[in-house]
Amino acid sequence: MNVELRKKAKELLKTKQVEMIIGYQRGPDGISATPVFITREEEAENLIWDVYCVYNLSNYLKDFPGKKIGIIAKECDVRSIIVLLQENQLKRDDIFIIGVECSGVIAEHTLASGKESPGELDFDEKCKACRPSTPRLYDYLVSQKDQKDKGVLPEENPYQDIRKFEAKSIEERFKFWQEEFSRCIRCYACRQICPMCYCPRCVADQTMPTWFSRAPDLEGNLAWNVIRAFHLAGRCIDCGECERACPVGIPLREVNKKIEKDIKELFDYEAGAGVDQKPLLSCFDQNDPEDFIR
Amino acid sequence: MNKSQIPDHSPQKNSGDRNLKAPIKDFEPKIVGFLCNWCSYAGADLAGTSRIKYPPNIRVIRVPCSGRVNPLFVLNCLMNGVDGVLVSGCHIGDCHYSEGNFYARRRFAILKRLLEYIGIDPRRFQMAWVSAAEGERWAKLVGELVEEIKEAGPNEHFGGNR
Ligand code: SF4
Ligand code: SF4
Ligand code: SF4
Ligand code: FES
Repeated sequence: MNVELRKKAKELLKTKQVEMIIGYQRGPDGISATPVFITREEEAENLIWDVYCVYNLSNYLKDFPGKKIGIIAKECDVRSIIVLLQENQLKRDDIFIIGVECSGVIAEHTLASGKESPGELDFDEKCKACRPSTPRLYDYLVSQKDQKDKGVLPEENPYQDIRKFEAKSIEERFKFWQEEFSRCIRCYACRQICPMCYCPRCVADQTMPTWFSRAPDLEGNLAWNVIRAFHLAGRCIDCGECERACPVGIPLREVNKKIEKDIKELFDYEAGAGVDQKPLLSCFDQNDPEDFIR
Repeated sequence: MNKSQIPDHSPQKNSGDRNLKAPIKDFEPKIVGFLCNWCSYAGADLAGTSRIKYPPNIRVIRVPCSGRVNPLFVLNCLMNGVDGVLVSGCHIGDCHYSEGNFYARRRFAILKRLLEYIGIDPRRFQMAWVSAAEGERWAKLVGELVEEIKEAGPNEHFGGNR
């Protein structure tokens, strides 16, 4: 697997099909995987792909406009690349997607515990809602012959927890999010790490007008977290990076997934389904539901 | 909005818990309405020129089209203690810009559900189509909104009437 990956990477650099490859290398702890940017053939030896390759590297693609970039991407990463293509943030010809088959990456707490081989329970939550799979878009596929499909099974009902929460009383719901959001320190790590949060001036940074309190108080935090999630409607592909990056552990995926579920129900829309798909909020259907309108 | 006239109904600021409070009889909700220039604003104007009586709780903000309304407008109102927000535009097919209300409809279907999810009473955010000829309907709508938001009680989630 890694052999094939490195071989392909070398070839791409050698033939100058790409100027750089964004991939993963083994971290200094000998277990985790960290991003690596390689430009020379010999560096390709550092490339790896395994269950520790949690990060979504597509966030880096926009940093190199006009350059030919190769990127190692699993299914969820590929879907974020698709959204960026839909939104004209990337040129298809500028990127070379080295697709990797994925059967789940591990949860970060497993990493922290220093365990060598993750058991089934240690896979990341996001992978439970994903079909272990081959990326839907790639230029070259590194197939995973040597590794048995030991990945997590797709959840029967990926929105079970969301539905459970919806069934709670309005007071309970407010109390829950009030407590969660009250911990937010407005570090905007969730925004910085999100491939889709590329606005040159985020609404959270605007001062004319100031859309919501910039202090970490309830009003500001609630408005920030609602608007962040809303801006990702139909764009969030549930890579889970925001939740992973949040230093105070706010369950951001539970907000993202709520919207994901709603847009599926309301508009039969799935983010990052294909390059030709129109962005959710820049299109409409004559028959969109309007039972909530008086 | 003269602040001195607004009674402070919020003994438990930020409590977010309706059940703890006794019902408030003399509560007059503050409602902000974003009305599109071509239909709903004209409809509200018609109600006025026809001298139809309706509750004065709504503060109207004229916007070119319902498609102009940013979800941030709605959030900003709620965060500043407004008790209810209405977005009103032309009926489907009548938008002055042909498509504006189609976009608004999508956008706010998502926002409406999201606000409810995080525990904001769904009665506090409403949407309507009111045409320029529907003065009566406008008056009736505002009457209903005021009743509903009275039932929901003052918005004290974020510091209440500031
Ligand atoms: S909102 Fe979070 S889960 Fe969704 S795409 Fe952005 S970083 Fe990934
Ligand atoms: S939160 Fe919204 S405004 Fe801010 S960067 Fe993300 S998408 Fe842009
Ligand atoms: S990463 Fe967490 S703490 Fe930081 S702004 Fe986002 S939600 Fe708030
Ligand atoms: S002009 Fe009235 S909704 Fe567009």
